[in-house]
Amino acid sequence: MDNILSVLVFFPAIAGLLGFVVDKESARTYGITVAAIELFLSLWLWFSFDSANAGMQFVEMIPLIPDFGVSYYIGVDGISLFIIIMAALMTLIGMMSMSITKNIKNMIITLLFLEMTMIGVFVALDAIIFYLFWELSLVPMLYIIGAWGGPLRVYASIKFFLYTFAGSLIMLVGMLFMAYVYHNLTGVWSFAITDWYALVLPVDYQLWLFAAFFFGFAIKVPMFPFHTWLPYAHGQAPTIGSVILAAVLLKMGTYGFVRFSLPMFPDASVMMITPIAVISIIMIIYTAMVAYAQKDIKQVIAYSSVSHMGIIMLGIFAMNAEGISGSVFQMLSHGIVSGALFMLVGVIYDRRHTKLMSEFGGLASVMPKYAVIFGIMLMAAVGLPLTIGFVGEFLVLLGFYQVSPIMTILAGTSIIIGAIYMLAVYKKSFFGPVTNEANKTLKDLDAKETWSLVPLVLIVIWLGIYPKPVLEPIDNSVKAMLVFMDEKAITKEAKDMIKVAKSSQGGV
Amino acid sequence: MIGLSHYLIVSALIFSIGLMGVLRRRNLLMLFFATEVMLNAVNIAFAAISHYYNDLTGQMFAFFIIAIAASEVAVGLGILIVLYKKHGTLDLDDLASMKG
Amino acid sequence: MMENLVYIALFAPFASSLFAALFGMSPRQTFVGIIASLLLFTSFVASALLAYYVYTTGNSIHVTMMEWISAGDLTIPFGFLVDQVSVTMMTVVTLVSTVVHIYSIGYMDHDKSFNRFFSYLSAFVFSMMILVMSDNFAGLFIGWEGVGVCSWLLIGFWYHKADVTRDENPSISPSWAANEAFIVNRIADLGMLVGLFIIYWNVGSLQYDVVFSALPNLSGSVLNAAALALFIGAMGKSAQFPLHTWLTDAMEGPTPVSALIHAATMVTAGVFLVIRANPIFSMTPEVSFFIAALGTFVAFFAASMALVNRDLKRIIAFSTLSQLGYMFAAAGLGAYWIALFHLAAHAFFKALLFLGAGNVMHAMHDELDIFKMGGLKKAMNWTYAYMGVASLALAGIPVFAGFFSKDAIIETAFNEGTYVLWAILVLTAGMTAFYSFRQVFLTFHGKARYDESTLHPHEMYKFVLIAMSPLALLAVIAGFFMGGFQTFVTKLLPDYVMSEHTHHLIWVLTAVVLVFAVGGIWLAYKKYANGLKRDEELENSFIYKLLANQYYIPQFYEEFITKPYAMLSEKMWTSVDMKIVDATVDGIAKLIYKSGDGSRKMQTGNLSNYLNWMAVGAVLLLVVAAISAMLG
Repeated sequence: MDNILSVLVFFPAIAGLLGFVVDKESARTYGITVAAIELFLSLWLWFSFDSANAGMQFVEMIPLIPDFGVSYYIGVDGISLFIIIMAALMTLIGMMSMSITKNIKNMIITLLFLEMTMIGVFVALDAIIFYLFWELSLVPMLYIIGAWGGPLRVYASIKFFLYTFAGSLIMLVGMLFMAYVYHNLTGVWSFAITDWYALVLPVDYQLWLFAAFFFGFAIKVPMFPFHTWLPYAHGQAPTIGSVILAAVLLKMGTYGFVRFSLPMFPDASVMMITPIAVISIIMIIYTAMVAYAQKDIKQVIAYSSVSHMGIIMLGIFAMNAEGISGSVFQMLSHGIVSGALFMLVGVIYDRRHTKLMSEFGGLASVMPKYAVIFGIMLMAAVGLPLTIGFVGEFLVLLGFYQVSPIMTILAGTSIIIGAIYMLAVYKKSFFGPVTNEANKTLKDLDAKETWSLVPLVLIVIWLGIYPKPVLEPIDNSVKAMLVFMDEKAITKEAKDMIKVAKSSQGGV
Repeated sequence: MIGLSHYLIVSALIFSIGLMGVLRRRNLLMLFFATEVMLNAVNIAFAAISHYYNDLTGQMFAFFIIAIAASEVAVGLGILIVLYKKHGTLDLDDLASMKG
Repeated sequence: MMENLVYIALFAPFASSLFAALFGMSPRQTFVGIIASLLLFTSFVASALLAYYVYTTGNSIHVTMMEWISAGDLTIPFGFLVDQVSVTMMTVVTLVSTVVHIYSIGYMDHDKSFNRFFSYLSAFVFSMMILVMSDNFAGLFIGWEGVGVCSWLLIGFWYHKADVTRDENPSISPSWAANEAFIVNRIADLGMLVGLFIIYWNVGSLQYDVVFSALPNLSGSVLNAAALALFIGAMGKSAQFPLHTWLTDAMEGPTPVSALIHAATMVTAGVFLVIRANPIFSMTPEVSFFIAALGTFVAFFAASMALVNRDLKRIIAFSTLSQLGYMFAAAGLGAYWIALFHLAAHAFFKALLFLGAGNVMHAMHDELDIFKMGGLKKAMNWTYAYMGVASLALAGIPVFAGFFSKDAIIETAFNEGTYVLWAILVLTAGMTAFYSFRQVFLTFHGKARYDESTLHPHEMYKFVLIAMSPLALLAVIAGFFMGGFQTFVTKLLPDYVMSEHTHHLIWVLTAVVLVFAVGGIWLAYKKYANGLKRDEELENSFIYKLLANQYYIPQFYEEFITKPYAMLSEKMWTSVDMKIVDATVDGIAKLIYKSGDGSRKMQTGNLSNYLNWMAVGAVLLLVVAAISAMLG
């Protein structure tokens, strides 16, 4: 099946359109079925994916505006493959665990559209198509937060929309300028990312373009100091919104750095290592401290997301295969773990309609299954070996150590302060005597919640023990990218800094 | 000898008179007249420059403007009559219904 | 065949843990404990067979199960290495674990989370086995973190207890102590990770054999950095100063946990790391001397706190800390095999001591204050004998295991010419004898200081006492195997023999140590054997209070680290994140909104006004055009 990527992108959207005629009572079943088929398709994509091939696969190209070189151009490589699968997985799991009953049909349709835009972003190989999906993804999320959110939902959703939109407009300017430069240098118009890769730009152009793309990506990640929309969005969003936002939407930013910034502007990226590393370290330490001060469980996890995204950013700019592969792996790991944590917070919110830790205490006695799963996810979040969280974090820190030992030690404090706020949450909510009367009669996880959480637990442990099936394709693509960057770099500093893995030396 | 600059000065003067009319008048009908004055000022300039360069395009343009102005007057006056019938006035200060 | 044994030894505890976990949420089932103990015993038998194999053939077994992480040039397999060092550890760990498992069937008899306890305990043994068996540093780190988590789970086993003030309970609550242990260990783990990074980027691998063979090519500064970073990791697990506070607080866990994790096995992981990585430490004399000096300091420092403590378990915990100091002193001075020997011997008698303390607690209904005990000898003959034997071994009285191992460490300090360390270690030996017997006498001798009308102490179950007997036996006889042990492990570890000079003085040295040890016991006997006479003046003295409050170090950490961190976090959130970062964003949004709101006034609805504005605009454009035309 050559068009599997197009099917992957448009199947949820078409199914979403058909969803309008589906009966309200069966909307939920319909949504889960569609999401399950989508996940199956994405797994099939993985099955037919050639792990040894580091380049783009399943490429489709249909010219849309030939005069300006805009085409419907999509493809997938090791870096994007697993993020696509994760997007499909988290959509399915999110739908399964969803407890919303208000306007359920609208929610299902919105989620299916959101799924299209998310997958579209990760398969796009044409800047305009990428931008299109990138911006379209804001709309369903705006709707989810604005329609199903908490009391401050309007403020939160508008903040989310305008903030990220402002960033992406700067990115759009960058894209247009890039196309203009491409036209000037080659005489033809093209928005294909692969064409842009081939372009060797002077360093000052690289720096300006890097900056333009940086704003679009950095706000999405979100990097300090552009992160303040995130706690509001998470705090107000319904559980499903937080799950998707944390698991997939944030990854668009870091994915953008890997897909655009590094291979297109290798010299600028190398020059920007120190500033970005400094910002990342501030993200890691500062937001971890802010997370510790929170009173609301969901806010802790929201801030911890920022802290973990700092680790991912650091790994991307390690400029060696260990760091970047680890970083891409950490994107998956953070997606699954933070998604699961948000779902877990949703579980207790559904029961008690509060997320304040002071309202809880001793939940482990009342809800043992819940406590076990929360504990496993917590340990994955703090990067315990043999859970998914360790592999990425370890590789990122290992990779960045080559760049700067001091900064790695500073960033490595995340394993300490991460444990501090996570264990504080666990102690305040789950340990101690049950003091609040309202907690004494809480029900443990029901079948629906258990069945949506257990698969995530299994993945967390499976990929912690045997990450190879995922890590290998990622690593192959990353190694090829590094070889390419090394060849393309023009400054001596960049050539020195970009470390080609020994195993991939001697040609791609 | 009357040269190009004389024509242009006249044109500019008439245009300024029209502009002042547009800025100062409150009656819609008067505004209308003032815009006609401005159009004709431009016509003079077109004709003069056209003659100066020996290029008929400018004069042709002037004819276009006259034609358009005529049709504009026809439509515009019609609208003004309807407006007057509806509100009983053509004073702009009384017609400010689109305040933001 | 041997490969299968390796896997059996490793995975039997894992199977046990999974099995118990199946019943984790159901009511107490005795068979869970029995099956877990049987599986642990299987693991012990497999370890013992492996030990026999390694002993007889001198070969080591190396198996690679599968690849774990592979990215860039890094490849980490799940590989397991059974050689003289790891097989010693495996045997000790599985032996003590089996005993502790059986003991727990009795000790946790009335606990409703009985099944869960066995699940955690076996998971701990599994992690510990990974730690000691791994053939690379990353695998060691898996076990390292694994035992940390199990320790967290087990310290916080009675998580339902509420926080109380430090005056009421110095550990605040089990969950507090658990978190403290985890976080302090994480601090050290960062050091360990950095050590791994240094090794990887300089050697290109984390496999022990590759790393050790590449060491001669490395520069001195790299070696020093790697050794120091690894030792920082070891300091956390083995609770060396200044990361020691968690160990005494960890006594909040059930007593079998204290025996297994916080005495016999996990806390010795740091010593194991130094022994395992001895090629690195042998090449870095400065770091090694630092290790020896710190170890000696901790030996003395911890013993001093044990002198005045009134809590049965905490005294033993301090003693563990002190003995770990001895082990580090030996390892730092290059006597790796002596350190390993003391590790094994200590595991036996210290586990025995803890289990004995558990019996006492069981009899006294969880009373821990030795000032409120006394006269238990009558009711608890067996426990008295066990604890007496263990204390004799700990004090280093001849024929008992501790005499051989500890004496060798003290001799090493003399042999190396580090006389200051030697003197401190000798003094500490005397203190050790004193506090051990202070505890024994206060607990078992004299008159009962508890309310005899309500409390009727009784001996532990028979099967528990029988299960403890192997440890008691080993605490007595382990010393006689010292020579054999030396020839066995020095096939792998560098041999360490005393010089001629030391050899001549050996009787004198031994006599000096013995005088201190016996002196300590005699002093304890005089003061406490006939009951407790409180000395108000002494108890109110500055030194006594300083020691009783652990040199005020926990309070210091609380005031200068914990509280400022919480305060700073709060400030970061309310002042920086909300008032600066977010306020800036909202400020920009407000600016745009206000400018729109302000310019709304232009929208009068009056056509005449609009025309005026239009004219202004046209003029402005003209001016701009004119200026740009003039500028060229």
